[in-house]
Amino acid sequence: MVERARQALPSVLSVALSLLVCWLLIAFTRDEGGFVTATSAYLQMLWGGIGDWPNFLGGAPATVLTRPIGEAAMKAALLTLTGLSVAVAFKVGLFNIGAQGQMLLGALAAAVVGAHVQLPAALHIPAALVGAALAGAAWAGLAAALRLYRGVHEVISTIMLNWVALRLVDNWLVVGPLRGVAEAGASITGTAEIHPTAALPRLLGDVSRLNLGFPLAMLAALAVWAWLERTRSGFETRAVGLGDEAARAAGIPVARRAGLAMALAGALAGCAGAVLVLGTEGRYPGTLGAPYGFDGIAISLIGNNHPLGVAAAALFFGALRAGGTRMQLLDVHKSFPELIQGLALLFVAGRLIWLAVLRRRRAVAPALATPTAPTPEAPRA
Amino acid sequence: MSLDIHAGELLAVVGENGAGKSSLMNVLYGLYHPDSGEVSVEGRPERFKSPRDAIARGIGMVHQHFMLVPTLTVAENVVLGREPTRWGRLDLERAVREVADTCARFGFTLDPRARVDTLTVGSQQKVEIVKALHRGARVLILDEPTAVLTPQEADELGRVMKDLVRAGRTVVLISHKLKEVLGVADRVAVMRRGRLVAEVRASETTADRLAALMVGDAPRAVTDEPAPTGQAPGEVLVEAKGLHALGDNHCPALRGLDLTVRAGEIVGIAGVDGNGQRELAEVLTGLRRLTAGQGTLLGGPLAGLTPAKARERGVGHVPEDRLRRAVVKAMSVEENVALGRHAQPPFARGPWIDFAGRRERTRELLAAYDVRPPEPTLALQAMSGGNQQKVVVARELDARPRLLVVVQPTRGLDIGAVAQVHARLREARRQGAGVVLVSLDLEEVLALADRVYVLFEGRVTGEFTRPDYDERELGRRMLGAERAHG
Repeated sequence: MVERARQALPSVLSVALSLLVCWLLIAFTRDEGGFVTATSAYLQMLWGGIGDWPNFLGGAPATVLTRPIGEAAMKAALLTLTGLSVAVAFKVGLFNIGAQGQMLLGALAAAVVGAHVQLPAALHIPAALVGAALAGAAWAGLAAALRLYRGVHEVISTIMLNWVALRLVDNWLVVGPLRGVAEAGASITGTAEIHPTAALPRLLGDVSRLNLGFPLAMLAALAVWAWLERTRSGFETRAVGLGDEAARAAGIPVARRAGLAMALAGALAGCAGAVLVLGTEGRYPGTLGAPYGFDGIAISLIGNNHPLGVAAAALFFGALRAGGTRMQLLDVHKSFPELIQGLALLFVAGRLIWLAVLRRRRAVAPALATPTAPTPEAPRA
Repeated sequence: MSLDIHAGELLAVVGENGAGKSSLMNVLYGLYHPDSGEVSVEGRPERFKSPRDAIARGIGMVHQHFMLVPTLTVAENVVLGREPTRWGRLDLERAVREVADTCARFGFTLDPRARVDTLTVGSQQKVEIVKALHRGARVLILDEPTAVLTPQEADELGRVMKDLVRAGRTVVLISHKLKEVLGVADRVAVMRRGRLVAEVRASETTADRLAALMVGDAPRAVTDEPAPTGQAPGEVLVEAKGLHALGDNHCPALRGLDLTVRAGEIVGIAGVDGNGQRELAEVLTGLRRLTAGQGTLLGGPLAGLTPAKARERGVGHVPEDRLRRAVVKAMSVEENVALGRHAQPPFARGPWIDFAGRRERTRELLAAYDVRPPEPTLALQAMSGGNQQKVVVARELDARPRLLVVVQPTRGLDIGAVAQVHARLREARRQGAGVVLVSLDLEEVLALADRVYVLFEGRVTGEFTRPDYDERELGRRMLGAERAHG
C-alpha cells in the first residue's frame, strides 16, 4: 500500500504544482488585487466542481450541490473511459493516440443503433453500447492490424485514423446518408434523434445531465483493473507490454494479446462516444467537437496508466472542468482547467526525466556504501 | 576500500559477482561518483564528473559490450568524437593515417579501412583498445575482456596486454577467470563485498588460493566436480537431420545440422561465437523457424514448433539474453517465476491468478536456490545478475522439463552461483532430462557434457564423447577443420 502511494506521489505533486503555476498566472495577469482574484477564482472552481457547500449550508436548496457534482461526474465519466482506453493500450506497450477517432465512431454507432433500432429499454441501451464498443474496437483494430501485419507504427496510424474518422463521420456520414430527416420542413443538423428507450437514464432528474454513464465508467475502471491485475490474460497482457521478447519465449501469443488489448482500448473509447450520444446529446450532432479522446492521453499519463489512477485523475479533472466555467464570473477564462491539465501532464512527463536523474544518483550510493545489500547491476553505459 | 595501481603493471582485479569490481572501475572511469574518499592520478586528487574527465587524465576503458558503430570503419570508430578536420570538414585520410600509426606503435594488425561489422569479435575488441590508446590512455581498464573470445583469441589478447605493459602502459584487468588472470597479470587484487581483501603477486599464488580468498570463509565447492558418471543414455528426445535456418541478419545461420539428444545426457554445443549455436537453441525452443530440414522433438515434429508448443511438450529454456528473453525485469520476482507457467496450478486457478499459491511456490524456490534477497514481491531488476539467473534456472527446472536448452547459463556469474547452476544441470540429467548446453566457455562444456558437438558455420564439424576430449582437436574443429583426423 505504501508502495502504491509512493507511485501516485509524482502525479499528485505535478497536479499541485500546475495548480500553483496557474494560480500565479491568474494573479499576475490582473492589474490589481491579483492574488485575491486568483484565490476566489479557485474557490469558484472548487464549488463549481464539488458543489457550493457554503451556499448550501447557508440555506440554499440542494440543487446547488447536485447540479455541479452532476456536471463534474458526467465529465469524469467521459474522461475515465477515454483515459482507460489509452491506459489499456499502454499496458500492452502501444501508444493509442487514436481514442478521439475511436470515440467518434462509437458515438456514431450508438446514434445509429439508438435511432434506427426498435428495442425495449432493457435491451436497447446495452445494444447501443455494444454497437459503439464494436465500432471503436474495429477502428482501433485497424491500427493494430497495420502494426502487427505491416509494421506501421501505431502512433502514426492512430493519428491518421483520427482524421479519417473525423472526415468520414462529420463530413460525410452525418451530413449525408445518416442525416436526420427534418420534421415539418425544419432543418436539423446531425443524425436522427435516438429513441427514448436508448437514452441513458438521468440519475438526478432534470437537475443535471448526470446519467447512467457515470457508474458504468467507474465499473469499467474497476473491471479493467481486475482484469489486468487478477487474471491470467491480464498478466499476459502486462508481460507483453513490459517485455515482449520474454513473453514470446514464455509461450504467450504476443500478437493476439496486443491485438485484443488494442481492440479493448477502442471499445472503451467507443463507449465514451456512446455515453456522450446516449447520455447528453441525444443524437450525433452536426459536429462532435468535444476532444475527450485527446484528453484521455493526459488523464492516462497523470493517472500513471493505472486503471484506478485513471479514474481518480478523471474525477479530479472532471470537477475542475465543471468548476472552470464558474471562474468566468471573475473574468477568468474557462479554459484554465485545460491549462492546468496540460501543465500537469507536462510535469508528469518531466517527472520521468526527474526520476531517471534520481535513480542514477541513487545507483551510485548503494553500490559502494552497502555492498551486502542487493545492488542493481552496474549499468554498462 | 583503497587500491593503488602502479604505472607499467598489469593488475588483475578479481572477485565474485557483486563484489564491487565494476563499481570500482566505474568510479575510476568517472561513471559513478564516490560518496566518500578520493581518486588520485599521479598523486593529484581528481574529481571526475564524467568519463570525459577520466579520458582527459589518461584513463581508458574497454567495456564488456563493445561501444562501436558496426557500419563505420575501424578508423572512423577510433576517431569518433574527436575527428580530425580540415576546413571544418572531416579529414578521413588523416584519420586513417593516425589510426594506422597508433596500430603500428603498439603492434596491432588492424586494417583502418575495414568496416567494423566485418571483423571478428576479437578484432573488434582490439579496435576498442586502439580507440582508448588513440585518446592517450596510459591506464587501460578491461572489463571481462575474454568473456566473448575463443581460447585462441583470449591467448592473443593476453599477448596484447603484455605488449602494452612493455610499452609502458598500465593495464587493469577485471575478470572471473582465475587461470587466465594468473597467466598474464603481475599483481592480483581480490575484492569481496566491496572491500579489498588481498593483494598478491601473481607468481606467488595459485588459482585455488585466489578462489578461497574471493569466496571467503563460506565452505563452497569451487573446484571442478568429478566427471559425470557414464550412465546409459535413455530414449531419443531430439532427432534432427539437415537443419537449416536463417539468422537475425537473414543470412543462413544453420546449414545442414544433424543432432541427436537422448534422455539423461548433457549434450554440449561448442564453437566460436556466431557459428549457429544461438540459432540452434532458438530452433529447439520454437523461437526460430526452420527453412529446411526435419526432425522430431519430444514426440512431435520440429517444423512448425512454437514456444507455446515447445513448453507443452516439456522443453525448458534458459536463454542467453536473460533480461530480454528470460525475464520481465520490471515485474516482481514471483510474477517472473510464474511466467510461462502462469496458466497452470499453483500459479492460476481457472482464469484467475492464484496469488497465494504463487507466493508459496516462489518462497520455496527462492529458499531452495538460495536466492538473495528471498523477497517474492521485489522487482526482479533490483536483484543482482547472479540472483536473477538463479530465479530463471529455478523456474525452468521447477517445471520438470524433459528437454532443457541452456545457453551461456553461467556467463557473468560468480563462482558460488556457477557451482550451483552446474549442480542443478547435473541433477536434471540424473532425473532423466536431456540437457543441451550451449556455452562459449569450453571448460564449462567439457566439465559438464557427456557428448560434445562442435559447430562451425552452422554445421557440426566434430562430435566427441566423454572421456575422449582432445582440447587441441576440439579447437581445430571450432575453427573449421573437417573430420580429417576422425
